[in-house]
Amino acid sequence: MRRMIYLAVFILLIQAVHAINSSDEDTVTFKDFTLNIGDRIDIGDYQAELIEIQSVKDGLAVMQVSKVGSPLEDQRAFLLDSANNIDGGAEDGGITITVTDIFDDQSVKVRVEYKEDLGTARKHTSERPRVIADRPNLVVGKSFDKNQMSVGDEVKVTVTVKNIGTGQALNIGTEDLPPLPEFSYIAGYPPKIKDTLDPGGADSAVYVMSAVKEGSIRVPAIQVSYTDSKKNAKSNSSEPFNILINPESKPDLVIKLDPSGPIAAGGKGMLNVSLSNTGKASATRVKIEAQIKPPDGLEAIGLEKSLFEIPPEQEVNYSAELLGKKAGNYTVSLKASFQGGDAAMIQEGKVEVVVQEQEYKYLYLLPILPIIVIIAWMYRRYREYKY
Amino acid sequence: MLNVLMLGVGQCGNRILDAINKEALGGGGASSLTKYCLRPKFPSRVETLAVNTAINDLKELRFTTAKDRLHVPNLHGVGANRNVGKQAFMDNRDMIMGEIEKRGDFDLAFVITSTSGGTGSSFSPLLINELKRQYRNITVITIAVLPFREEGSIYLQNAAFSMRELMDVEAEGIILADNQYLKRFSGDIASAYDKINSMIAQRLLFLIESLDSEMLSVTDLGDFKTVMNGGLRIGTMGFYQADRKNPSVRDAIENSLKPVNLLYPANVTDDSARAMIIIQGSREYLDVDEITKEVERLSASAGHVFKGIVVKKGHPKVLSVFTMASAPELEAIYAQAARAMQDEKEKRLRARKQMDDAFAHIEDLEEIY
Ligand SMILES: Nc1nc2c(ncn2[C@@H]2O[C@H](COP(=O)(O)OP(=O)(O)OP(=O)(O)O)[C@@H](O)[C@H]2O)c(=O)[nH]1
Ligand SMILES: [Mg+2]
Repeated sequence: MRRMIYLAVFILLIQAVHAINSSDEDTVTFKDFTLNIGDRIDIGDYQAELIEIQSVKDGLAVMQVSKVGSPLEDQRAFLLDSANNIDGGAEDGGITITVTDIFDDQSVKVRVEYKEDLGTARKHTSERPRVIADRPNLVVGKSFDKNQMSVGDEVKVTVTVKNIGTGQALNIGTEDLPPLPEFSYIAGYPPKIKDTLDPGGADSAVYVMSAVKEGSIRVPAIQVSYTDSKKNAKSNSSEPFNILINPESKPDLVIKLDPSGPIAAGGKGMLNVSLSNTGKASATRVKIEAQIKPPDGLEAIGLEKSLFEIPPEQEVNYSAELLGKKAGNYTVSLKASFQGGDAAMIQEGKVEVVVQEQEYKYLYLLPILPIIVIIAWMYRRYREYKY
Repeated sequence: MLNVLMLGVGQCGNRILDAINKEALGGGGASSLTKYCLRPKFPSRVETLAVNTAINDLKELRFTTAKDRLHVPNLHGVGANRNVGKQAFMDNRDMIMGEIEKRGDFDLAFVITSTSGGTGSSFSPLLINELKRQYRNITVITIAVLPFREEGSIYLQNAAFSMRELMDVEAEGIILADNQYLKRFSGDIASAYDKINSMIAQRLLFLIESLDSEMLSVTDLGDFKTVMNGGLRIGTMGFYQADRKNPSVRDAIENSLKPVNLLYPANVTDDSARAMIIIQGSREYLDVDEITKEVERLSASAGHVFKGIVVKKGHPKVLSVFTMASAPELEAIYAQAARAMQDEKEKRLRARKQMDDAFAHIEDLEEIY
């Protein structure tokens, strides 16, 4: 009897173990694969092959799924991250395929779910070489050899086109329009670029123009248009940018006259002259002439001069001696004539020089003294009432 | 020559003192200029000193030199509280008296103050006592300004109590000016003050000048003291300046006693105890006979009248100073002050009662949290 019981228990145990095992075989498992085009996954009788990537952007990959010994053989578009059940899906003994990632137009990541009793999923790498996509990609640039210039300056414009894609670019055309009114086009315009460019190939063209009007200018983009081998039209443009055209460079002389102070009749004084070129170009053949009004009573020695050149932003200083002969007020005027570019130019400067009667040299101090005394007095009184 | 000390105490006193300095600089708009060039021209040796607990009141002055402004430091001012004011004076007595002593010896002192503020009305009685103690022969006259009646019960109460103290001290007398009475001169308070202050200034300067002059008919400090000692020892002043249209000296005397020209509402014929009439002008206008007759006529009703005549170029000017035997207006102020204080007291009781009633609601309750 006891044996019977042991046996019964043993049988029950075995059955229980069996039950666990059989439910084990029902377990759904999954496996992830990275597939290139042409690669295939085999699970039992099922085969799934990656045919093409329809769109990386929209997340669409095409796979062909078939089953050995069954009419099932269809190509389906798989949407990224959505599960696709074949033969009812993994739960019903079929398989479930999900595209979990699309890396580029050649490869994806796929998850396959299936019941373990179907066997193990395996990947078959395709022997076919990976097709190289035929995608030309042209980039275009336009550059000036300087971004600041003056009216009259020449500027060299370089247009470069480069194919950074994987296919040949055909029927290349550039459009560098409209011609800018601030320039006159001297040579090489419109720029010519090769008709076709192989992947990695590049071409450039240069043209020269000259600035005719001052101002800050926005240089528009240059556009390049081309087709790929399948006649798909494409285009690309450069970045627009700003340049500054300064007014034409000219010399400009500023004359400063600085007398050493009032001169006593019969005495001497100095007149310091400074000529500074505040322009952008050299002043050449500078000639300085002087005039004193009224003409007699004051004499200047060494005031007139000729100079070959005053370069831009430079200064020439010299001083002249003044001899006071007669009391009075005099105007000393200097006229500098010079050459700037093609034009002749003139600048003038003026200063008052006083020649005083010797005896009254400090006469002007007389009224100041009482004023100072009065102000000091008033201030003292003000302080007295300030609380 | 007389040595005169003029003390302006509290804001009101300070400002009247400033008006006196302004008058001494020539008065009017020109004085703001002349203060930069001239010295104030006083008839005698006059020292002025403005005393206050409020530094801002002192800063406001324009014609008083900085060294003549004395700030008595008291932490928060005195806020119209006369008890605080008295304490502040006692705390700073030596400093204040030292400042006065520096200015030398004096025969005559004017203490100018409002009766109703805190500082001036509480300092002045104490200050007068100190002056009397420090200068043996000094004559002290208080110039006391009565408040506008609508200025509130505290001012009225201050006026009542400070007037009593001022009458108790040993000063020779009080000259009253009444803001309420004088306010008819202007619609706005600021210009009314200016007008009142310059009226007081003009009269005081004229008085000092007369006391210190060679007079045709003599009045001097002694006479002035006698006048101030009369009646209640409370008096006021009138002033009149004749012009070319009517240079009559008789009319000028009469006009100087008319209510419009007085600083305090009084009726000379009924109220006056003693009087002093000082007349100034060119000799041709001063008919001594006419003057004597007019003064005699006055004496008949107004008690003893002193007269002084000063010969000085110009149309007649007359200053009248008189003390009163009775002061009904002052009595009215006391009545009003008493009423106001009574009201105040009742109001306080009522408020207290109301609060007590309110507290009754929570009498048996404990705070619950
Ligand atoms: N006539 C005249 N009265 C003035 C003047 N200023 C103030 N009062 C009057 O003076 C009284 C107030 O007293 P104040 O002198 O201002 O007070 P105080 O003595 O400075 O005292 P606290 O300010 O309380 O410390 C009020 O009745 C005012 O009407 C003024 O310039 N002229
Ligand atoms: Mg004040």
